[in-house]
Parts: sequence; C-alpha cells; structure tokens
Amino acid sequence: MKQAIVIDRLRLKFPGSDGLLFRDLSLSIAEGEKVLLLGPSGCGKSTLLQVMAGIIPHSIDAPMKAERLERPERWGYVFQDPDAQFCMPYADEEIAFALENRSVPRREMPARIRALLDQVGLEIAPHTDIHTLSGGMKQRLALASVLALEPDVLFLDEPTALLDEEGTKAVWQTVKQVGRGKTVIIVEHKIDHVLDFVDRIVLFGRDGRIIADGEAKAVFSDYKDVIAAEGIWYPGVWDDYDRTARRRNRHQGEELLRLSHFRGFRGREAKIYVPKATVHAGEWIAVTGKNGAGKSTLLQALMQLIRTDGEYMLLGADIKRQHPLYRHIAFVFQNPEWQFVAHSVREELAYSLRLEGRPEAEIEETIACLLREFDLVEQQDQHPYQLSIGQKRRLSVAASIVAGQRLFLLDEPTFGQDAKNTFALLEMLEAHREQGAVIMMVTHDEQIVRRFATRQWVIEDGALVRDEQLEIREPVLTEGGAGQ
Amino acid sequence: MKWEVRCRETWLHETNPSLKLIVLVVLFFAVLFIHNPNVLINVSLALFVLFCFGTGYPANVLFWLFLPFFLVFVSTASSMMMFGEGTTTWVRWGLIHVTAESFWRGVHIGFRALALGLLGLIFSLTTRPVPLFYSLMQQLKLKPKYAYSFLAAVRLLPMMLEEFQTVRYALTVRGVPNKGVLSKVKRYAIPLLSQSIRRAQRIAVAMEAKQFSGSGQRTFYYEIGFGKYDIWLVALFAALMFVAYYMGVHYPYISIRDVR
Amino acid sequence: MEAKTKGLKLADILTTIVIAIVFGIIYKLWGPLYSAVGAVGFHLDQLIYGMWFIASSLAYLLIRKPGVALLAETAASAGELITGSQWGLEVLIYGVVQGLFAELVFAVFRYRRFDVFVVSLSAVGATIGSLIMDFYKGYIGSLAPWNLALFLLARFIGAILISGVFAVSLAKALEKTGVTQMWRTASKDDYDALNR
Repeated sequence: MKQAIVIDRLRLKFPGSDGLLFRDLSLSIAEGEKVLLLGPSGCGKSTLLQVMAGIIPHSIDAPMKAERLERPERWGYVFQDPDAQFCMPYADEEIAFALENRSVPRREMPARIRALLDQVGLEIAPHTDIHTLSGGMKQRLALASVLALEPDVLFLDEPTALLDEEGTKAVWQTVKQVGRGKTVIIVEHKIDHVLDFVDRIVLFGRDGRIIADGEAKAVFSDYKDVIAAEGIWYPGVWDDYDRTARRRNRHQGEELLRLSHFRGFRGREAKIYVPKATVHAGEWIAVTGKNGAGKSTLLQALMQLIRTDGEYMLLGADIKRQHPLYRHIAFVFQNPEWQFVAHSVREELAYSLRLEGRPEAEIEETIACLLREFDLVEQQDQHPYQLSIGQKRRLSVAASIVAGQRLFLLDEPTFGQDAKNTFALLEMLEAHREQGAVIMMVTHDEQIVRRFATRQWVIEDGALVRDEQLEIREPVLTEGGAGQ
Repeated sequence: MKWEVRCRETWLHETNPSLKLIVLVVLFFAVLFIHNPNVLINVSLALFVLFCFGTGYPANVLFWLFLPFFLVFVSTASSMMMFGEGTTTWVRWGLIHVTAESFWRGVHIGFRALALGLLGLIFSLTTRPVPLFYSLMQQLKLKPKYAYSFLAAVRLLPMMLEEFQTVRYALTVRGVPNKGVLSKVKRYAIPLLSQSIRRAQRIAVAMEAKQFSGSGQRTFYYEIGFGKYDIWLVALFAALMFVAYYMGVHYPYISIRDVR
Repeated sequence: MEAKTKGLKLADILTTIVIAIVFGIIYKLWGPLYSAVGAVGFHLDQLIYGMWFIASSLAYLLIRKPGVALLAETAASAGELITGSQWGLEVLIYGVVQGLFAELVFAVFRYRRFDVFVVSLSAVGATIGSLIMDFYKGYIGSLAPWNLALFLLARFIGAILISGVFAVSLAKALEKTGVTQMWRTASKDDYDALNR
C-alpha cells in the first residue's frame, strides 16, 4: 500500500531543554489509515503530529533532523483550542480565508461555503458571528475550513479536549463522515468515541518511544493497564474507578449557608434567583443546567463578586459581616491561570497565608504539606504558567483552599483534565467534604454527579428551579477495593 | 459581551475605506497648516455637522462620544491661553499671563484638536474593520500578512474584555490589595498579555496550516471597489474646505488672520 | 533546516499587533486620565504622557526583531483610533512618528541590546518624535521659556519611567511566564545535541 507519511530516524529537541524529545523515532502511515496516537502528556504526540504536517519547522522552529521524512502535499489540521484557530469574525469569512489562500475564484465561494457547512452538519446562516457558536460548533467550523483545502490527510490534535459531552459527540460523528477515504491521524485523551473509528493505535511511553503499534482493539486490550495509568479516558474508566474507590461517609453537620429570596445582578438586571435554600456541612452540591442558564453567575453571587440582595447567611452571620470573604470561601475559576498572582508555585501557595500575616514557620510547614498532598514538590520553584494543565489545576485548588475555608465554589474544575487528574481532584475534594466543608461545583459531567454529589441544584433561565437530595450511590465494592 | 453599538448605515459607510482614509489624512495635514482661526472654526463646525448627521448613530451615543473631545478642547486651549507668549497683556496673575495673542492661539489649537478629533471619529464610526483591511489589500497593496494579522487581533478584542473582567474577579477572590496605578497595570497586564500572546502564536500557526503564505497570489471573498458615493465624498470635502476658507477670509469672526 | 523567511514572520506580526491592541485599549483609557490630570495645570499631564510609547518598548523587548517597535506603535495607535480616540486621526500619525524614532534607537544599537538604558533611550527617541509633531500642531515653541522647560522635563522623565523602566520590569515578568520561548532562538548546542 502507498504510504502517506514516512518518518525515518527522527531526532528532535526543544531549545534549552535537556535531552532529545525523540531519538531515532521511525513511523510510517499508509494512505487511508485511521491512526490514534496515545500516550502520557508531555510524551511528544502533538509535536510529532506537527512534524508530520510540516508545521515544525515551517511555522514553529525546533532543532530536528531525520534520515527520511515524507509528508503529505495536501493536509488539514484541527487544533485543540476553538478560540485560537480563527482569524475572521464570521463563519463564512473564515471558510473564505482558506478558499482565498488557494486562489479559488470569488464567484465560486458562496456555494462552496454552503456545501462545506452542510458537510460538517452546521445548520447556520453562513454569515454568523463565530462568537455566538458553542465550542462543538466552533470545532466543526474549524473542520469545515480545513476541508476547504481539500486535504488527503487530516490531523486532529485533541479537537474535543475543551468540549462538553454533547460537543464531543457531534465532532466525532462529523469526523467519521468526512474522514471516509482520507488518512486521519488523531491525538486524543478522551477515546470513548474514537475507538470504533480508528484501525490502528500507536502507544507512546513517557520517554517519547513507541511502546506498542498495531491493530486498535488488540493494542487497547493488551495495554489497558498502561492506558489507564496514563490517565486516558477510555470506555469503562468509571467502572474501573468504582472498583478502587472507598466507601464514603455521608454524615451532615451544622448549617453553613442559608439563602432566602437571594438575587444576583449584572448591571440592573437580576440574573440569578434562589427562592430558599439551606446548606449543611458535609454536603456536595452539583450545580447543573444548560449553557448560559446562570450557573457561573450563582457562584459569583455567592462570592459577592456581583451585587446581590435578599438574605444570605454564612456560618450563622450575615454575609456583609463576614468580610474579607476569601477567608471563608474558596473560589476556583474555570481557567486556573486567571487566579495566579505569584511568580512561583511556592509563592502562590504562600500568598494567602502571608496576606493573613501567619508566622513564617507555620507557612513553611503548610506549604510543604500542600506540595506533597497535591504532588507539586518537584515543580515548587517553577512559574505557575509553565506547569502542565493538570498541575495548574491542582495548584489553583491548593492555593485557593490553603486558608482552611469551609465553602468551596468550583466552576467546572475537571474541564479539560485527564482521567487521572480528575480522580485525584475529586478524591481530594471528597476528603475535605468529609471533614465538614461544603463543595458547590458547576459541572456537566453526569458521572461526577452520580458518584460524588449528595444534592443537585438545577438552574434554568437564571433561577434555581430544582433542589433535590440525591440517592447515595455506593461504589461497587470488590475484593481488596475498599481500602485506600 | 456587547461592545459594538448598532447603527444605521449611511452613505459614508458605503464609500471606499482606503479612499476615505486618504481623504481624511489629506484633510488632517490641511488642518495642521491652517493658521487663520476664522477658517478653522468654519472647518470644525462643518465637521461637527457631518459627525451629527452623517454617521448614523443615535444622539445619546454621539453625545458620550463627543464628551472627551470637549475635554481635549478645553485642556489644550487653556494651557496655551494661560502660559503662551504675547505682547498685549490682558491678565497677569502670578505665573499665569494671558495675552491677546496667547488667548487666540489657545482658541485656535483648541479648535484644531477638535477638528482633528472629529476627522478620526467620523472615520472610525463609518468604517468596519473587515472592509477596511480588504480595501487596504486591494487598493493600497497592504501585504496580506499584516492585514489578516490585524483582523485576527481585532477578533480577539471582545475575548480580552471578558478576560479583563475575570481577572478583576480573580484578584478580588484572592484578596489582592488594590493599590498603586502601575502595580495594578502590571497585575492585569501579565495574565492578559501572556494569554493573548499565546493565543496569537497559536492563531498564526493555524493560519499557516491553512496554507496562508502572507504574500503572493490570492483571491478575495469581498471585492472592494469604487462607487458614486466616492465621488460624493471627494466633492463634499473639497466643497467644505473651499467654503470654509472663503467664508473665513471674507466674513471673519475676529480680526486675527494668523495666530503665529 | 528550511530557508528562513526574510523579515517578520506571521507569528511575529500577529503577536506584535495583539500586544499593540491591548495597549491601544490602555491608551484609550489613558486619554481621559491625561485630560483630567491636565486640568490641574503646570504640565503635570506630561508626566504620564510616556505611557503612549510603551507598546513599542514592550513588543521590542519580547520579540527582539527589527521593525517590531515601529509596527507596535503604529498598530497601537490604529487600535486607539478604531476604538474612538479623543484625539482622532492625529494618534495614527503621532504613532507612526513615535514608533519610527523608537525604532531608530534600537537600530543604532543594531538590535542587540535589551537593557533599561537602551529602552529608556528609545523612550526618549519616541518623546522627540512626539515633540516634533507637537511643535507643528500645538505651537509649543511659543510657550514661555520656563513653561516650555517644565513641559519638556516632565515629558522626558515620564517617558523614561513608564516606557523605559516600567516596560523592562513588565517584560521580565512576562519572560518568566514562558510566552517568549518561541523567540529565543535555538543555540548551536541544541543543534549539536541532535548528532550526539
């Protein structure tokens, strides 16, 4: 069979880093193959994808050499971040950009744009503002503009990492349709929807070497332990998690929070309304609802970031008398980077404690403890922005809860995280809950709600419309699975 | 987040953006070389009328847009009035020395600032970024590399404004004390800039991945050409300047002909 | 290695423009502040005039390539214009002239120095650019001598402090976040390591 890509003895290194990312890596991919590249974060899968496409060294400079390197003529590349791959404000203009690059005559453009939108299942007017699209729709638009290049090879670099379940499904469904007859090479951490599409899996180790390369189903079943250990979302990952999870203590403590006719405002408009609610220590509340329903607004109102009225009692006192609030409430943003204020991991953790004027010895002790608990000991002197996405998330949580707060407000904290980090984070929150904290967490993930939440708040059109206690769903216990 | 005010499209929106830019730049230099306050006052008034009735924005929006211009007018004029050199003294009070010459010179540069400001505002209110940069590529041969970079950056603007809000919340949540202008600029600038820079780098890679070469042959989704409104534009501004000049010389408001 | 393209790459241009537009917004917000301080009199406003030169210093410090300072200052003023600056079209022309003078200073040092001294000098350059424009537009030459001296002194000092010293500290902080890595070219050691 004819080869679409041939790499022979590739060596590559990033400037300033120690050692090579790839040492004599060889890989070839036949025309029409659907290949999944799997491996731990930092193993170089995305880099390899960029080398295959020629983005390295054409657009990104990195010292590299190879005995032989055959790359496809016509290719398209979909990136991870839906907001960082468009250069035009409207959908039609974005697709037209790709057509212009290929010097397609102007009079042919409108028809082609319509056809491409149909092909990826986007039923929108061509002249639609890209800002108004959901993440899943943006990624399908990205796919449409890539298809405008009439590629033989499609490179997909974690296209659904930042999407919710619905968006993820829609994107993979589209890829399956448009990928027919093309070579498709995928890097992905969430493989539930990909597994039945790919013929071949290439599994990488931490050192950038290929551990396994073969027929998809065979590699998946033979190397399931490795795949699980690397934090990849595979089908049945939650069932496996349940087997190791421990029994939970569902005891509830004293009243922590009381709301009555509570409203939060943006400008003059009330954007969130809670008729009545009391929350006790030891509760885990999952805040769910559609995009734009007002879930994040609720958290912002509780943190008093926006103007509120009505009754709001925290720890038995009116909220106005509990300032500064960061002593009682920990708030974790969706993007961890926003809340970093220091230049190193250590300083980040120390920040709130210094603000409180705690003695230096105590601060040192607390930091040492947190670094261990959150697995950040090796990174303690790095700049927070330089951490991996999982490390950033852990740091943002660690730095937020350092002052011993009782109420945790979290806005989709597991978003874009791999399985390993997600489980670690949830376990950690669970431990704090058992010690009497309240976890209030916006999430789209039904699996998390079922396993961790004791209570669910459904937000619809800016109001709390349903408040229900959830049945305790004990993990399935098998032999030796109860301890931790 | 809504940051663009909807407006009625006027004939000025329909003119060729490159031509409009050139006409306004020519006017800009013309205004710089007007030293007769009578002429300048006429020009400013004419531009003010065009600003009010030619841009298609509702009156309340126009009012708020105009307010800072008035401030500039006052601050520019006052400092020259009080401290400028001159021979015919009107008031002397400590360091403040108002002379007839400096007073009219102050009025003159106040109106000049006003006229220049209005020129820019008329341009930005009636020009959308996408047609502007397509026109710059087609008529003024701006390299696509620069044009599309601008457009990509403009697209990031609303995202940055949202992020600005988030950073503000985050600083509150972390209890960051709120003091010092420059340290505040830094607290905001670092997360905003580092995020934007990384996004810009990624967008550049994505654009090149779509076979964007930055120069060389390409077609255009929008052809920006010329129409009857372009003739109107040139004719209107030529007439405006001529009438302002004629009236200023022959029917002056004040006797000073040159403020230098 | 493939042949290096001449001049600025797309990523350089796009990043410069994005930085510039961020500062374009800051410039826009700086305008009313400047006018408010100006109302106090005695040219106190000139002390904060230097903020309008910072885009060129910062873009140059981060990207370190020829042409970036000029592009940044031009783009920032274009951004300020598009968002409706109170000075209108004038900002665009000021921007080009200021950027040109800042660029000139970096060129004199052959784009090899990135320290406070050179950056402050470029701020002085940009200030001279702005003064040339002011000379034509605002008749500053006809201010009383003591007043003119005060005016000039305040503007130069402000420029050095904001677009020199402050810009360098901002660039250092950004450097630590790792966003500039792509512009720090690989050393010969990196290439040698491939053959080891």
